[in-house]
Amino acid sequence: MEFVGEEINYTFVIQKVLVLLFCVGLSWKMIIYMCNLLNIEKDPIRVLITGAAGNIGYAIAPMIARGIMLGPDQPMILHLLDIEPASSSLEAVKMELQDSAFPLLKGVIATTNVVEACKDVNIVIMIGGFPRIAGMERKDVMSKNVVIYKAQASALERYASDDCKVLVVANPANTNALILKEFAPSIPEENITCLTRLDHNRALAQLADKLSVPVSSVKNVIVWGNHSSTQYPDTNHATVSTKTGDRPLKELVTDHNWLKNEFIVEVQQRGAAVLRARKQSSAFSAAGAACDHIRDWFLGTPKGTWVSMGVCSDGSYGIPPGLVYSFPVICEKGSWKIVQGLSIDEFSREKMDDSARELAEEKDLAYSCLNV
Amino acid sequence: KEGMERKDVMSKNVSIYKSQAAALEKHAAPNCKVLVVANPANTNALILKEFAPSIPEKNISCLTRLDHNRALGQISERLSVPVSDVKNVIIWGNHSSSQYPDVNHAKVQTSSGEKPVRELVKDDAWLDGEFISTVQQRGAAIIKARKLSSALSAASSACDHIRDWVLGTPEGTFVSMGVYSDGSYSVPSGLIYSFPVTCRNGDWSIVQGLPIDEVSRKKMDLTAEELKEEKDLAYSCLS
Repeated sequence: MEFVGEEINYTFVIQKVLVLLFCVGLSWKMIIYMCNLLNIEKDPIRVLITGAAGNIGYAIAPMIARGIMLGPDQPMILHLLDIEPASSSLEAVKMELQDSAFPLLKGVIATTNVVEACKDVNIVIMIGGFPRIAGMERKDVMSKNVVIYKAQASALERYASDDCKVLVVANPANTNALILKEFAPSIPEENITCLTRLDHNRALAQLADKLSVPVSSVKNVIVWGNHSSTQYPDTNHATVSTKTGDRPLKELVTDHNWLKNEFIVEVQQRGAAVLRARKQSSAFSAAGAACDHIRDWFLGTPKGTWVSMGVCSDGSYGIPPGLVYSFPVICEKGSWKIVQGLSIDEFSREKMDDSARELAEEKDLAYSCLNV
Repeated sequence: KEGMERKDVMSKNVSIYKSQAAALEKHAAPNCKVLVVANPANTNALILKEFAPSIPEKNISCLTRLDHNRALGQISERLSVPVSDVKNVIIWGNHSSSQYPDVNHAKVQTSSGEKPVRELVKDDAWLDGEFISTVQQRGAAIIKARKLSSALSAASSACDHIRDWVLGTPEGTFVSMGVYSDGSYSVPSGLIYSFPVTCRNGDWSIVQGLPIDEVSRKKMDLTAEELKEEKDLAYSCLS
């Protein structure tokens, strides 16, 4: 080839580069294809479920083993913890998990020993707690639970994996999570959360029902505050996907009175409604919501979507730091981040502050139980 | 329930399944696929088939996948391998204590390829004895531990049954389904009997040509006999 001046050199280089890029592109596809053929399996993640012999545990264990929580290609080893009186039921859960032949489930450790249960776990779902029995005072339930969560805090801190992510489900969820955080100071506080995704999902469902649309069309409600009757389901920033794109929910639900009253009460009291209908508290919806909470935390929230998680407050939106409070969050690369800059009207402000006040009271009550 | 005679349970269930047959036939979609879980599963499915003649008989099945999965679980535990490495056990016959969990064609994935289960377990006495009774009586063992019958594992197996039926079985793998017998393996036709099947394009087909030894033959015939008796009992309840 003759080099006649700069022009032909340039064309020559471009040609070579294009051919090179084409070859690289083609090889890249082949490399990816070969890697898929080798099907290198990921290392199993250890997931601890406390209170695993109960109803929520029974519902969540197969969901996790099926891959609903961590994705279809993430194997896991389940650690199931419960108290001695439940050991027979606990063993039965292990037997049934074996009987289900789940391909992703690489092992089950069913134990009443908290050290064995906590060893090297990467994810902890805390369903175990003292239930409120008729006639019990709030102080009594609180005192029993703070003792449990203080003890489990030490075990987790000592034996769980360093990057362990915790989801507290057992009520009072926010305050149990707070106690856990206080007594396990070496666990990064961003790794301790509580479940408000159930309320979030219930809110989405109520709105979908009102609009007669599939629940997958509704998003970005927010559940603020305490997982209790002071929770505030906020629809001010929710959207609905329609044929003409995403539209604000408040445009489509014109009955704003309903949004500020009945809707809120419906979501707040849904737990009681399920209890009435089932004669038992919600199990599978709680399990479903716990899976959603962990999955989004782990794998990330879809673009343009946020979810509700009970997390350690950093003072955002005027919420006192030092509380575990439910905020709107997005998740990316295994971390959550509070969605900032959302406008808060007076009505919302009042409700958000009410819930914060209740949480501060619960915190004081919890500490007073520990000093006794 | 406690104190109930077998005839009583049978008679209550056949009337339920007869009426549901009529409803399904009239209102369900024409290509509706049916999985019967409630016991006596095989006979309930048979009654359904008899009283919903316009539902193609290949679309009516009963659950033996739970027993199949239990068998896989027992072998994987015995060999200390992940359950996903074990495949191709067969559950023959009735979803009852006369079911026959057959490992003669089962395989385990090892670092040097697929090996027969019998070769790796090296304990024919266990495979022909304790293993079989453990699988047959696993339901009772769960009731003993839980004080309630299996729910989680039954639900999961029902999902597996339908998923494989609709989406197909993986290459080289077969599963167990209670289906309408066409006389394969000398099992009398006209019964709902659990066979090894593969699934493709939304249809199941019985795996043919598997050698059956004498021990297996006896057990397969025993469970077929029980199903024939159940069928006669069911019809007598309806008359």
